[in-house]
Amino acid sequence: MRSHTRLSRSLAAGSAAVVLGITLTACGSGSGSSGDSGSGEIHVLVYGDATNKVEKQIVDTFNKTSKVKAVLDTIPGADYQQKLQTIINTKQAPDIFFNWGGGSIKPFVDAGLLMPLDDMIAKDPGLKANFLSSVFDTAVVDGKAYGVPMRGTQPVLLFSNTKVLADAGVAAPKTFDELLAAVQTLKSKGVTPIALGGGDQWPTLMWFEYLYDRVAGPDLFKKALGGDKAAWASEDSKKALGMLKQLIDAGAFGTNFDSVKFTDGGSPALLARGKAAFELMGSWEYSTQQDANPDFTKSSLGYGSFPTVTGGKGDPKNVVGNTNNFYSVLKKTKHPEAVAEFLKLQYSDEFVQGQLAIGNLPTTSNTPKYLSSAANPAYSAFQFDLVKAAPSFQLSWDQAYPPAAITPIHQAVQQFFNGQIDENGFIKAMQALPNS
Amino acid sequence: MTTTLATGAVTRRRPASRAGTAVTRPGFAWALPATVFFVLFAIVPLVLVAVLSFTRWNGLGSPEFAGFDNWNRLFDDPVMVKSLWLSLLLTLLGVAVQTPISILLGVWAAGHQRNRAVLSAIYFVPLLLSATAVSVLWRALLDPNFGIPAEAGWLFGDGNLFGSQSGAIGVLVVVGAWQFTPFHTLIYQGAARAVPPVLYQAAAIDGAGTVRQFFHITLPQLRNAIITSVILMVVGGLTTFDTVLILTQGGPGTDTTISAYYMYQKAFKGFDFGTGSAVALLLVLVATVISLAVVRLSGYDRMRSTSEGL
Repeated sequence: MRSHTRLSRSLAAGSAAVVLGITLTACGSGSGSSGDSGSGEIHVLVYGDATNKVEKQIVDTFNKTSKVKAVLDTIPGADYQQKLQTIINTKQAPDIFFNWGGGSIKPFVDAGLLMPLDDMIAKDPGLKANFLSSVFDTAVVDGKAYGVPMRGTQPVLLFSNTKVLADAGVAAPKTFDELLAAVQTLKSKGVTPIALGGGDQWPTLMWFEYLYDRVAGPDLFKKALGGDKAAWASEDSKKALGMLKQLIDAGAFGTNFDSVKFTDGGSPALLARGKAAFELMGSWEYSTQQDANPDFTKSSLGYGSFPTVTGGKGDPKNVVGNTNNFYSVLKKTKHPEAVAEFLKLQYSDEFVQGQLAIGNLPTTSNTPKYLSSAANPAYSAFQFDLVKAAPSFQLSWDQAYPPAAITPIHQAVQQFFNGQIDENGFIKAMQALPNS
Repeated sequence: MTTTLATGAVTRRRPASRAGTAVTRPGFAWALPATVFFVLFAIVPLVLVAVLSFTRWNGLGSPEFAGFDNWNRLFDDPVMVKSLWLSLLLTLLGVAVQTPISILLGVWAAGHQRNRAVLSAIYFVPLLLSATAVSVLWRALLDPNFGIPAEAGWLFGDGNLFGSQSGAIGVLVVVGAWQFTPFHTLIYQGAARAVPPVLYQAAAIDGAGTVRQFFHITLPQLRNAIITSVILMVVGGLTTFDTVLILTQGGPGTDTTISAYYMYQKAFKGFDFGTGSAVALLLVLVATVISLAVVRLSGYDRMRSTSEGL
């Protein structure tokens, strides 16, 4: 009997460990910020990675002239959003924090934690005017500005292996029909037409984002995001889904795309080794290829904008992707003036040069002055002109919606691509998304 | 389990009555540190999660009481029901695959030959690696274009292992077995070495061969080890998380979204801590019921010594 009680205890302990995950992680967020903003400090919280070098430099510049000192805190790696969520409503909350705009700050806006920047902008119109408007709009929630761009833009582009295309006698497709034709030709040459890291799910989503924008224009998604569920069931929505289905059925992505990932280098390798001809990916594909396959990048990595759709309502110049990252400000900051001064540095010449030097492409109006100093001037100029000319820059759906919608969106796009759900199933799944 | 065997071995040489009086039970004070730890890190969180499961909370502000909303939605949620079945399926497959392999390996490794000792040491290595490292490794090995499936098309077809439910579950079972079989092998190795040699000597005199000895002496003697190992597999299987997170991310679609991963998705990706807590609590209930059932059915609670009559 003794062993029985001991056993059931350890079993209970084991099962309680499942639960522990939730509560422990919720308490244990030791951020570096002490939250002591009364003593003349503002805390700036950013995602910890290589770009911190520039952020540190800007903070140093700020501290040279300001009485209120800025302190840079970083949260490394992929846990950023989780940790931010746990501290943002506590004493440890920063004054200014990094985010992705859109859905990533919507819950904070709803909870009344963020400061609208409209008053600051009224005092210094440069805080808005010095940024590309399609990018700036990403951090506008309910008509109010809540963020200032602070890193580089990452539009989604159609990359290609120009050698494979030349060998197959295929020109870079300008329209969707040309893309379909290219798929047939490439297949007959034994090449997977399009590399897709379906295992990551978000690369699959990029195809939806672009085709919906080309077919229906950006308004369909805006309506849907605003809560208009009928938008998903509209004719345009069905047309976009039909075109996606056409691509999938034509074998454009091969058959094993769900076992391939972008994040472990699987899909970039397909493109670089000539096993695939195209890959739709964020602008970071370039640096990924440069690291993994420098020779290929130099000789035959092609890039261009997404093909147009004949008769589509969307402007062919529209872009989707990650518009930029943003600095947002907490309402309870004790030094709003210092914060405003700090935000102004995000369009300074020093900022632009620093970002370009580490391979980021800022979205300020003074960026073109320094494009020649970028690591790859031609590529940077192409992207900058693309983003600047874009009437609409749609933030990735999984970032435009609040976090609760991310998993259902990823599941639905994967299931539509592998045939587990059809057009109606997809529409239903999207209609069920929480939008606040 | 090992203590039971050890006392059994000791009492063998002593009169039973003396053994009973010699052992005095330690006072409650000895259990205090463990009890405090257990209450603080197991009971308190469990209660907090139970409370959270009746609230709406996204981590900002204070939780709002929501009554049975989360629970009602869960019971109508096809993914929740599916995730429980998937958890059970993965657990059962894990037990079915790992148990025979680890018994055979464990009994084999129990021999004292030098080559067996060396090979068992090597075989133990997967257990030393972190589950995350193991998963990343396997993911790369199973890449359809550049991994093993690309070289063995006759076996893997187009290599779309992660694109179908059966393929993805197969991968999870194989990787789980690769990682945890060494641990269970160790249990069986220890138990097999504890089988009194006199039994084998007697059987050999009666003319029993290796196979008969295995089925009529080794297996019955391993009974308690089997129960221990199976219970550990069941508890471990129901709480599997890391391999799913890295290998399949619950996909394709929701086809490998087991309950523990579903809890993570709800709580930490969707910041819906109310629903996440309800999923966690449901998993605790199911796991407890299953564990109790295994304990009852297997007779683990009575746990008779296998050395009786020797």
